[in-house]
Amino acid sequence: MNLPSPEKRMILRADHVAGAAFILFGCAIIALSGNLPVGALSMPGAGFLPMIVAVLTIVFGLALVLRASAESPPFAELDWADGKHALQVTAITAAATALYEHLGFIVTMLLTIMALLTIVERRNAVRVAIYAILIVGGTYVSFVYGLKTPLPEFGF
Amino acid sequence: MDRRSFVIGTAACVAAGPAFAQGAFPSHAVTILVAFPPGGANDTVTRPIAAALEPILKQPVVVETKAGAGGQIGAQVAATAKPDGYTLLSHNNGISGYAEVDKLFGREPKTKRGDFIPLARLVADPVLLLVNDQQPYKTVKDFVDDARKRPEAIVYSSGGLYGATHLPVAILEKATGIPKLRHLPTNGGGPALTALLGNNAQISTQALSAAAPHIKSGKLRALATFGATRSKVLPDVPTLKELGYSAEYYLWVGLFAPKGTPADIVATLSAALDKAAESEQFKSVVANLGVESSYQNAKDFAAFWEADAKLSDEAVQLIGKQA
Amino acid sequence: MESTLFSLAHGFAIAFQPDNLWYAFLGCLVGTLVGVLPGIGPLSGISILLPVTFGLDATQAVIMLAGIYYGSQYGGSTTSILMRIPGEASSVMTCIDGNAMAKKGRAGAALCIAAVGSWVAGTFGVIALTVVAPPLATIALKFGPPEYTALLILGLIFLAYMSSSSLVRTLLMACIGLMLGMIGIDNMTGHFRYSFNLTELGDGIGIVPVAVGLFGLGEILATPSHKVIGEVIAPKFRELWPSRKEWNQSFWPIGRGTLLGFIIGIIPGSAHIISSFLSYALERRVSKNPEEFGHGAVAGVAGPESANNSASTGAFVPMLALGIPTGPIPAVLMGALMVHGVSPGPQLVTDHPDVFWGFVASMYVGNLMLLALNLPLVGLFVTVLRIPYAYLYPLIIMFCIIGVYEVNHSIVDVWIMLIMGVLGYALRKFSFDPAPLVLGLVIAPIFEQSLRQSLIMSNGNYLIFFSRPISAGLLIVCIVLLAMSAMTFILKRKDWRDKLAEAEAGEAQQ
Repeated sequence: MNLPSPEKRMILRADHVAGAAFILFGCAIIALSGNLPVGALSMPGAGFLPMIVAVLTIVFGLALVLRASAESPPFAELDWADGKHALQVTAITAAATALYEHLGFIVTMLLTIMALLTIVERRNAVRVAIYAILIVGGTYVSFVYGLKTPLPEFGF
Repeated sequence: MDRRSFVIGTAACVAAGPAFAQGAFPSHAVTILVAFPPGGANDTVTRPIAAALEPILKQPVVVETKAGAGGQIGAQVAATAKPDGYTLLSHNNGISGYAEVDKLFGREPKTKRGDFIPLARLVADPVLLLVNDQQPYKTVKDFVDDARKRPEAIVYSSGGLYGATHLPVAILEKATGIPKLRHLPTNGGGPALTALLGNNAQISTQALSAAAPHIKSGKLRALATFGATRSKVLPDVPTLKELGYSAEYYLWVGLFAPKGTPADIVATLSAALDKAAESEQFKSVVANLGVESSYQNAKDFAAFWEADAKLSDEAVQLIGKQA
Repeated sequence: MESTLFSLAHGFAIAFQPDNLWYAFLGCLVGTLVGVLPGIGPLSGISILLPVTFGLDATQAVIMLAGIYYGSQYGGSTTSILMRIPGEASSVMTCIDGNAMAKKGRAGAALCIAAVGSWVAGTFGVIALTVVAPPLATIALKFGPPEYTALLILGLIFLAYMSSSSLVRTLLMACIGLMLGMIGIDNMTGHFRYSFNLTELGDGIGIVPVAVGLFGLGEILATPSHKVIGEVIAPKFRELWPSRKEWNQSFWPIGRGTLLGFIIGIIPGSAHIISSFLSYALERRVSKNPEEFGHGAVAGVAGPESANNSASTGAFVPMLALGIPTGPIPAVLMGALMVHGVSPGPQLVTDHPDVFWGFVASMYVGNLMLLALNLPLVGLFVTVLRIPYAYLYPLIIMFCIIGVYEVNHSIVDVWIMLIMGVLGYALRKFSFDPAPLVLGLVIAPIFEQSLRQSLIMSNGNYLIFFSRPISAGLLIVCIVLLAMSAMTFILKRKDWRDKLAEAEAGEAQQ
């Protein structure tokens, strides 16, 4: 970790961003809690504890922002080198989730594993296909025949 | 809260099933959705009936758990399933009340009773008015007198707000004219019983089968039954009707098909169910559970459900008014 | 006592009958499979196989079904250690240090320690069950909402020991967890909270999707394959067994975890979930090297694994002695017993001695069987790590999706998992540790409910927490703990976190 320089210049630090996010989150919760009865200390209502926790989130978020210049690296120095990988994997997993109940377990998972290995990892397509078929087939057999647990089927 | 329209993936996909359901019903596996987690009465009685149905329908009958939100998720998924007879629902008393509770909170009801066709009632377990052994009450009268005097001192436990063990207390409060008692909601029948046994609650209304072992051991006393007749297991416990209070309530488990299922398929299914209910396997499970008046065919169940739901609506409104 | 031994001998005679042994083995085998495969927990495993037992007598049925239950507890740690996928709530803590050990090439050791810890805990649990079940069961009934509230306050204090990030970061994570835990229908009033009209959110956010997303998927998103190329984490076969040092390091944690887990397991309700969290925090509190936690501390695997296993045995105490199901799984087993005409309850031991003692004896046998089954499997499981990372992580993603989906058959849960994966990735970038978030999520609904239940019982009077002996005792422990931390802070102005920072700074200089 890079220790920040002692003189306090106004640099946007990671904890400034993180703290602001938490403060926003806390405010959002309070805004969303409008119709929940707060009740009293002796008989807390549905909105009582959420309100306390939201306020605490804001307070701790502020603390994070205030201490940021002493404790956290500048925001610009965060390493996003893995960002492309993360984005690709997230997109493929999201597609798999969207299709899972439509295409069923076998088709979705074959496509997901092949997509990950060919698009993200750029592996040889034939080996990838064999690997995917073995893995998906093995899992399907253990769930459906070994444990009598139905997995989503095509079209279901 | 903004009321965005939404489509739940699950429901939409179920409805989008392929149409190879031609020819004689059933041509492939039938799925029964159970709206409550394993361990509850729904799961316990649905599995044996499913097993007994298989040789009659000559197709696999798969039991699938779709639990959550007090049974609402299962009901909602079944209501939006393709009405082809291949997706059935196992539910309980809860299915009667969702619309009424939603109305109370000003929410759009997600499922209504009209979304389902009753096929059969599998079991009906009379509810008992129970007290633990640290309470002085020996009769319903003792209890009612004390409750009139100090309603704020009596806590009752239930398996959940507006649930099947909460509503009977509201019915009882109305029938006996006692003021509102303090309500301790828990996460299910088991925890509610535990609260009563540990004297964290003083009274509770629970199903006969769940309470029977504790009555036998003397930890709990049954003051009365909500059943229409006295139970064979507990012949000394009077019915509330005998005592002059008009209150009747059962915890029941029923099977439903989604609205729009063709009449001939409904007929096939209910005939198969009538036959499956006669099987040794199902009968022995029901007997072992200690449940008595139980199976009803589609016609009787429809009439029973109608009356029961009316009661349930009244109780929900009553609780809503008090709150 | 003598009669107990006599009955137990009778029980062993039943358990050793060849067909009963066979059913115990079958149960253990299926249980291990259920535990290893993500998603199908013991709950669905048992209820799916329930109809299979209709042809058996009650003793055989319960022996087999219980085998599935504790078999799955053994298997549950496997995916946590190898893939950082916590199959259920109780193995969340295992995946932190277990997976860190695997990265250091000690996957075999972690799996062995988990298996042996589980065996010790399971066997101790059964002995305790045999000897002290009836008196302990009465205590279980005394554990009402106020006691729960006090226990969870203790849990919240232990939060401080959950994570090596600064206190503000830990508390922020806990707050987010508590917030997420409050989503869903409010059990006390019926209001829907922050559920955006999605019925699936009515029951709140599950622990499994959140934990799998934050730990499993989050890790994958932050680890592109070019970073791990050339790094072989699969150990050689002769390195599978834990070293002498590792055994020594796991001895006391196993002991403490076992005891803690058993006591918490007896408590009715969902307390068993927090047993592994508490054990982890406890180990870190008493450890001489708390800075090792999170980087492959042996105690961080041994303690929680033993705790969750003995908690699952402890859960049988109120079920068998009182006929109260303490959680969903004992409830399923009770249902199974009832289907077979045996009603669990105070009369069980006298009415059906064969069932009770046969069951207890078969648990001794089953635990031994599981150890024999699991240790050789360690070698097999570890070979998974020989798959190159580029091929391994798509497999892990597949398991994450099935695992989360199968729990409730809910695609919404899978979406939650994905969102949590992205959140986990972001948290990592900003150096937050997700473990306190998961604990917050576990605690929120139970804490809120028991606090409000207590106030219903006392009509709004907070003195109820001090007027009941067990809750007062727990609260005194809380106060002592807080006072102790305050003391160390005032006296030394330095706690273990500073030491950790120093140690890291030292490492950086080298």
